[in-house]
Parts: sequence; C-alpha cells; structure tokens
Amino acid sequence: MKNSWLIALREWRERVSSRSFIMLSIIGPLIVLGLVYVMFALGGHSKQHWNVLIADPGGIMENKIMAQEDNSLTYSFADGYIEMDEFRDAKKYQKFDALLEVNEKVLSNKTGFVFYREKPSVRMQTRIQYQFERRLEEIVVKELTKMSLIKFRSIKQPINVTFADVNDPNNKANDLSGWAGFFFGALIFLFIFLFGMTVLRSVSREKSNRIVEVLLASVTPFQLMRGKIIGIGMSAFLQFVIWISIIGGGLYFMRENIFPDVMDASNINIEQLTLDANDASYQESYYAAREYNEFINLVYDRVEFVNTLGFFLLFFVGGYLFYSAIFATIGATMGSESDGQQFVIPIVIVLCLSLYAGYYVMNNPETQMATFLHYFPFTAPVVVMVKLAQGYEVGHTYEIYVAFFTLVLSAIIALAIAARLYKNGILQFGHRLRIKHLFKWLKST
Amino acid sequence: MNTILEIRNINKSFYQKSALTNLSLKVQKGEIFGVMGPNGAGKTTLIRIINRIFSPDSGSVRFDGNLMVDRDLYHIGYLPEERGLYRNMTVEAQALFLARIRGLSKSDAKVKIDYWFDRFDINDWRKKRIEELSKGMAQKVQFICAVLHEPKLLILDEPFSGFDPVNVELIKQELSEMRAAGKTIMLSTHNMKSVEEICDRAVLIDKSKKIAEGSISELQDAQKSGLHAIRFQGNMIAFVNALWTGFEVEDKITLGDNRFEVHLSMRGESTFEDLLKVLIGHVKIEAAWEMRPSMQDVFIQLVQPNN
Repeated sequence: MKNSWLIALREWRERVSSRSFIMLSIIGPLIVLGLVYVMFALGGHSKQHWNVLIADPGGIMENKIMAQEDNSLTYSFADGYIEMDEFRDAKKYQKFDALLEVNEKVLSNKTGFVFYREKPSVRMQTRIQYQFERRLEEIVVKELTKMSLIKFRSIKQPINVTFADVNDPNNKANDLSGWAGFFFGALIFLFIFLFGMTVLRSVSREKSNRIVEVLLASVTPFQLMRGKIIGIGMSAFLQFVIWISIIGGGLYFMRENIFPDVMDASNINIEQLTLDANDASYQESYYAAREYNEFINLVYDRVEFVNTLGFFLLFFVGGYLFYSAIFATIGATMGSESDGQQFVIPIVIVLCLSLYAGYYVMNNPETQMATFLHYFPFTAPVVVMVKLAQGYEVGHTYEIYVAFFTLVLSAIIALAIAARLYKNGILQFGHRLRIKHLFKWLKST
Repeated sequence: MNTILEIRNINKSFYQKSALTNLSLKVQKGEIFGVMGPNGAGKTTLIRIINRIFSPDSGSVRFDGNLMVDRDLYHIGYLPEERGLYRNMTVEAQALFLARIRGLSKSDAKVKIDYWFDRFDINDWRKKRIEELSKGMAQKVQFICAVLHEPKLLILDEPFSGFDPVNVELIKQELSEMRAAGKTIMLSTHNMKSVEEICDRAVLIDKSKKIAEGSISELQDAQKSGLHAIRFQGNMIAFVNALWTGFEVEDKITLGDNRFEVHLSMRGESTFEDLLKVLIGHVKIEAAWEMRPSMQDVFIQLVQPNN
C-alpha cells in the first residue's frame, strides 16, 4: 500500500498544481453561480398566461382580487364548492388551468389550495399566492380589524397556499426535490467524466513516455493502477469541495445581498409595502426574489444535506472506482495516445445515458425500468441521487444499500478485470487496439 | 556464496511463441555481466523477469542466495532501454519520487540526491522541469535515478544507446567505479566493443536459448582460429626463408617503411615459442601476439555459424 500511496500523492500533486485544475476549480463554480444569477435575475419573463377559477362558496373574495389588470392571469369566480375530481374531468372546467379553492374558514386557518393541470412556474405560483394574499389582507383589515392596512401588514402572518397537481395530488413525480437530486447526479456524472478521462490520459501518457517500465520495476501493475485512481480521485474530491464551497458561499452571498428574501420580516420596509404593492416593477422583482429564494430554500432546507452529501460521496466514490477502472483499462491497453478513441466513445455514451436515466427516473419513478436503472451499476450513481431526493417509500430504504452494494461489487469486479488487462497491456506498444486483444490479455496470466 | 543472481531453468512464452527456453545463468557479486543477443533473442524478457515485471512460466530466480521476492527489488536498480521521465516534474521531485518507490525514506533520499547531484554536477538543474532539459541532460538524470538508492545489482538495458559520447564515457567510468566498490552490474547491449572493454563475463542468447556463457576471454578462446600475428621490420624474403615447414603464412599486410604484419597458422606440434625462436636474428620483431576474435566476431560466429 505504501507504493500505491506514493503514486497517489504524486498524481495528486501533479493534478492540483496544474493550471487546468486551478482554472476549473475557480471558473467552474463561478459559471454555475453566473447561470443561477442569470436564471433568477433575468429569467421568468415568459408570457405564460393562466386562467384561474376561484371557488369561493363563502363569497369572501367578493368576486374581486386585483386592483389592476395582470397580463399573466385571468381570474373567474364560482360561488359553490368544486371537487378536485370534478374540476379535473368536467368539460366546462377544461378551459381553466387551475382551481384556487377559498374555503369559508380561510380568514382563520390562513390556508388556500391551488389545483393545477400543468405545473406552473415558480414565478406563476408566486404571482397567484401574492395576489391572493394581498386581497385577503384587504378583507381581513376591512372585516375584522380597525387598524390600517400598513399596520396590519407589519404584524400579519403569511398565508399558506398549497399547490397540487390534479393528476398527482401527492406530487410524487418531477418535483423540485427531484431536480435537486438530478443536480447532484449530474455533478457525479461531470466529475466521473472529467476525472475518468484524467485517469485514461495519465495512464496513456506514462505508457507513451515509457516511464511505466521504470515504475513497474518497483511496483506491481495493480499498485500502480490503484495509486493512480486514488490520487486522481483525491484531486477530484478536493475540486468537489472547492466547488461546493464556492457555490454554497456564492448562493449565500446572493441570498443576503442581491436577492434578499422579501418574505422575511427583517427585510420588509413596511411603509413602502402598500405603495409598492401596486407597482408592477416592484412586483416583478418581488416575484424574482421569491423564485430565487425558493431555490435557495430548496438547496439549503429541503434537501437533507447530511443524508444527500453522505450518499453522494458514497455513490461518487463507487461510481468513480467503477468507471475509472474502465478508463484505466483503455489507457493501459491502447497502442498509442491517439489510439483507443474508438473505445472511449462508447463509455462516454454510456455515461451520457446514465444522465438521461436520471432524468427518466425523475419523471417515471415507479416503473420497472426505473427499478432496473436504480441497481444497474452504469446508471446507479445518477439515478440513486434522484431517488434519494424524491424520497424512498417507508420500509424501502434498504434499496439504496442494495444499490450501493451492487455498485461496490461491480467496481471490485471491474477493478479485478482492469488489473489483469492493465498488467498484460501496459507494456504493449505500437499496436492498434482491437477487442480480440482485450480477450487475449484477459485470458493471459 | 559469491553468486548474487541465479536464473534456474526459466521458460517464458507469449501466446505460444517462446521468448525464453530453459535458460539458466549465474551472475557473481562484483562483476560486470553482459547479456548479448540479436534483436528478439529474449534479452529484455529476461531482464523484465528479473525485475519481476513479468513472471516466468516455469523456473526460478534467486537473489543473494534466496528465492527472489518483491522486497529484493529495493536492492536492484534498473535503467530500461526505452526509458522515460515525467516531463512536467522537476528534476529533484522526480529523483525523490523514484528513490522513494525504491524503498528509501524521504530523509535518506534527500541525502543521496545531494550526493549524486554533486557527483554529476547537476545541482543547478534541481528546479528545472524535465521538458526544459536537453536529451543529454535528461540521460544523466535517468542514470542517477537508477543508481540513487545504491543498489547491490544494477541492470542496464542498452545503456549506451541514445547517449552522447561524453555521457557514454561518463557512464563507463561510473560503472567501473561501482564495480570497484563491490556492486554488480548486468548490462544488455548490442555494443560488442563495450562488452569487450568493461564486462568480466557475458551470456549470449539467441532465439530464446542460451548459446554461450563465460568470461570474455573464455568466450573469445572458444572461437579463436589459432592464428598468430607478427609485426616486424626487415626483409619479407628473409622472414619467409627463416620459417620452416612448421608454419604457414595466411595473410600479409604491408605497413610501409619496410614494416609488415604477417598472420600465421601453426602446423603439427609447432608452438608460438618455436615461431619466435626461428625468427629471432632474421628480422626485427616489433610485436607478436596470439590473434583472438573480437566480441563482435564471437557474436557473429555464434549467432550465424554458417558465416
């Protein structure tokens, strides 16, 4: 193990001191932060228009909701109860995108429900909630208090509006948590791809500059391969920590300084609120900030970080070991640095498919194919992250351990095969790699 | 026990093609041992087996009296034929890394690096990257990396190929000094002149089999033709007249200024001493010697006996 450790340290130092590593460590997360900023600062201006039916059996809203017109929303009112199933299926309701249910006790329980057919954007949700909330404030002040609207707004409590898909009231599929899981899966994909290719290049470079024979006179091929995979894995881990630190720190900075949460009482300028409430540009920035903070809320609060990061690391390590064994094999068996591309492309395609598998499972979590992809070692690292974020059903958490065990077992088998091919292929030069070479070297002792 | 390395009945084949067949040899402590053979004879395979890069199909390798184990590699230095270095590492970092995987502690490695860098006068290169060095400079670094841990046995595969003449002389001098210090050196080479100059003993391998092993003089003696040479000044007719029927002139080279070199073979019971006796007084003898084949001749005769 001492020799493997020396090799790992050498690899680690070489990677960490390289210009590309430093650049990627800084520029990569800054790009992610930039995209997040652009997405929330400039995005969301799409002209999605919704017809919303407000079911108000108590007549609380008095068939009114907004003082001025909103181009994105048209409200209609119904004065009776409408069941969710009826709204979903009845022909006369098909022209409505969503049903806002205002129950008779809304002023005391401060809860509203919105049933939608297609999931609204976060900004659309915010619009509906905001406008509903403002209207209820007016009603509460008028009906129940003698205080001014400004005074009321300084002591009010937010109204809870729950959005539910009429076809999936429990919101199992394609929710924001799923996307968060997909984000982590994509991160695993990105790091496996980047650092798997680094393993391949490092092996093939040692081979082409012939230092490998000097090394093999001191260490076994397996020790060499193991040291290389560990060293490059350590640098991948370091880069991951840098990414998470910069992205996490950046999001926190944006939350505190660029997009302060206007729902947070400490950030509200009460005197301005009533004046601003009818100001369209203020509303837009309010919606954007709400949308952004929804994301922050998702990243900071809704994702169980200890769990997710713990399993992220386990599946990252398992997936990295599995794929890097394959990349190391290609590097060791190819005849020259340019040779072997034909074997790299299928692996990259498989990696890309694993990303798609994550997307597929996010949308179809209950299918048999999703179950297969969850255990299949090529796709498990991405798919498990999605499943983990969506949440395992009670009593089914063992599935994640089965997937991990399968992945680790596959990685061990892949490393054993790789070690044999590595040993027999590393000192072969100048040939053009063919499948038959791999079989020949696999059989050879 | 003077044997540092013993190869016993080694067989190795690659996909039905035999690379080494029942090969045995012994390398004695403190000698420079040459491994000769044409391309593809199996020299590099043998060296890789000794370095445990390949394992033999059958047979054994004994190091310092015991069956060889991985730990023994710490006592072996190896400079392969196609040698390389990490191009973007500094000279010092490279030497330190290679010394450490050869078993030296960090502090010991630093002491040895100081010693060898001083000895080869390359202290100014410490922080240079290998890619900044000339080929000759890189060759020095490669040699130092092979000997840094002061191995008992140093194995060099074609050590003089690719080295410039200055470095070749430097390496030869180092090898001689290492032998004087009791180290053993095994070198595989096509350069027969080098074998003749610095090797004590050698083995010749051809088509995976050992075809000769012994000291350099033993190998030469085994192939000698029985010719003797006389270089003299005087009259060629007087020289021929002085000879009696016991000798036969095979070749004659005219050197100028009435000087000649004549190659003779002995007939019957005639000896070299008899030849000198009959010539004294008739010509002025400048030199007389028994003609031995060069290692180049030995190599060619053994590998291509029909020629």
